[in-house]
Amino acid sequence: MQIYLPIAEMPVDPFMIIIMSAAVGFLSGMFGIGGGFLMTPLLIFYGVPPAVAVGTEMAQIVASSVSGATAHLRRKTVDFQMGAFLIAGGGVGSILGVLLFKSLRESGQIDLFISTAYVIFLGLLGFLMLAESLRALLRQPRPGAPKRRKRRTAWMAALPFAMRFRRSQLYISPAPPILLGFMIGVLSAIMGVGGGFIMVPAMIYILQMPTSVVVGTSLFQVIFIAAIATILHAAANQTVDIVLALLLISGGVVGAQLGARFGARLKAEQLRALLAIVVLAVCARLALGLIVTPDALYLIEAL
Amino acid sequence: MKGLLAAFLLVLAAPAKGAEIAIALTEEVVEVNASFSGAELVLFGALAGAEAMSPETRAQYDIVAVVRGPAINFRLIPMLREQIVWTTGPAILVAGAPGILLTASTRPLDEATTPALRRALHLDANALDVAPLIKTTNARAAAIVDARGPAVLGAAFLDAARSAGLIKETANAVSFKKGSLFSIDIELPPTTPVGEYVVDIYLLRDGALVSEDSARLSVNKVGIERGVYELAHARPIAYGIGCVAISLAAGWLAAAAFRKSG
Repeated sequence: MQIYLPIAEMPVDPFMIIIMSAAVGFLSGMFGIGGGFLMTPLLIFYGVPPAVAVGTEMAQIVASSVSGATAHLRRKTVDFQMGAFLIAGGGVGSILGVLLFKSLRESGQIDLFISTAYVIFLGLLGFLMLAESLRALLRQPRPGAPKRRKRRTAWMAALPFAMRFRRSQLYISPAPPILLGFMIGVLSAIMGVGGGFIMVPAMIYILQMPTSVVVGTSLFQVIFIAAIATILHAAANQTVDIVLALLLISGGVVGAQLGARFGARLKAEQLRALLAIVVLAVCARLALGLIVTPDALYLIEAL
Repeated sequence: MKGLLAAFLLVLAAPAKGAEIAIALTEEVVEVNASFSGAELVLFGALAGAEAMSPETRAQYDIVAVVRGPAINFRLIPMLREQIVWTTGPAILVAGAPGILLTASTRPLDEATTPALRRALHLDANALDVAPLIKTTNARAAAIVDARGPAVLGAAFLDAARSAGLIKETANAVSFKKGSLFSIDIELPPTTPVGEYVVDIYLLRDGALVSEDSARLSVNKVGIERGVYELAHARPIAYGIGCVAISLAAGWLAAAAFRKSG
């Protein structure tokens, strides 16, 4: 059976798409990541135009972050105040990201740009994760080793307009969260990712938020950033395919639920090493796609 | 179906001596909907005239059917190698090329007819000159057209259209039914452009045209995907907001469903 995607303008096998998104959803549920950075390249491998893959993935991220955030909202592990500043920065960032996307698309460079950005980004991420998990797997437990103390960053305390973030028990300037939100907003809109895998460590290590509110707050702000980016991609580029998005959502949510249950029973370091290998494999496949001589040296598109 | 009847009437009313041909389509409208993965177009035809109708003497005749799509604009995108990576180059416009050109015949065209007749009737892509249709919209594209030449790009366009199934020639495509009735199956690819089509059928003898007939065909996009496409382009902001609303609802529903079952 085939379904015709109205915006991507191609027929696809819906079961294949659902299985792909369920597999990515499974990984994302297992590791607590968004999965956009795996789903977008997979869609490109399938033959979906990269620009449509990015725009459509933003709509899926809206659904998956809402689905993930509801549990945190119930448990009240969301810092709304911090979220608001992240959204303020992220909203502006995603506008800039979509505008950049549009100008690259008009000059015909968007496909190369997306692929190259993913190669660099997945290569870096996979390498760091692999190194980290190998270190954790090989590390000998040293009971006598002194625990590293949290480093108070002097530059953050020096920033003006410091205010109290009650939920996060912080007294910092809103500038760092706005800037952080902005940078991830740009990245998110260009690459079709939620950016949680950068946002979460940045919240812990840079903003020094308590871990209990980090995931909830990150998911909460992603809903808004992804919603803004979806609307902007639809408005500026006409690259959001709702039929494809619904297929991705239906596979993704089921996969994520199963992954979350399965992941609870496995060892974290082994899981992370596994994910690192998946990420590096996707990276290698994308890099190969850029370097190997394409089958067809000319493409045609009906206008 | 009206066309089919007309074809049979022609057979009955035909003069006994001169050979004639008539066709009809089983469907006069092809609809591209959610499950469109190409379509099979069946042409029914009939021959009239004693020689053409008799199985013994029929071999002297050739039948060629040509499905012609609307003339549309294409973007031809060359792949360029920059340093070590392959990238899509600037788009070159191919203005007013046939959206579809599918030829089905009894024998291969070079056996069935002469090059002159092939060109005159535009029977296949060999008679098609794409070079004059090549246009450029920017300096980078113009540089490529200068470097490679319109003839090379025209040939590249035909190759790409062939591999997309938009241009195709099939021999041995005519199957005879009872008496002088025959049918031809033609496959429309998934990327079939929408618009008004003309199906021409030619009866040839010794490479020369004896009789011809034609029928019309519409290819339409229908159903929900047409609506989605039109909405996304006509009212993009409303469409974007709609996508977000659907995604929000789907995500929330999924969470609620799993909370109950889990």
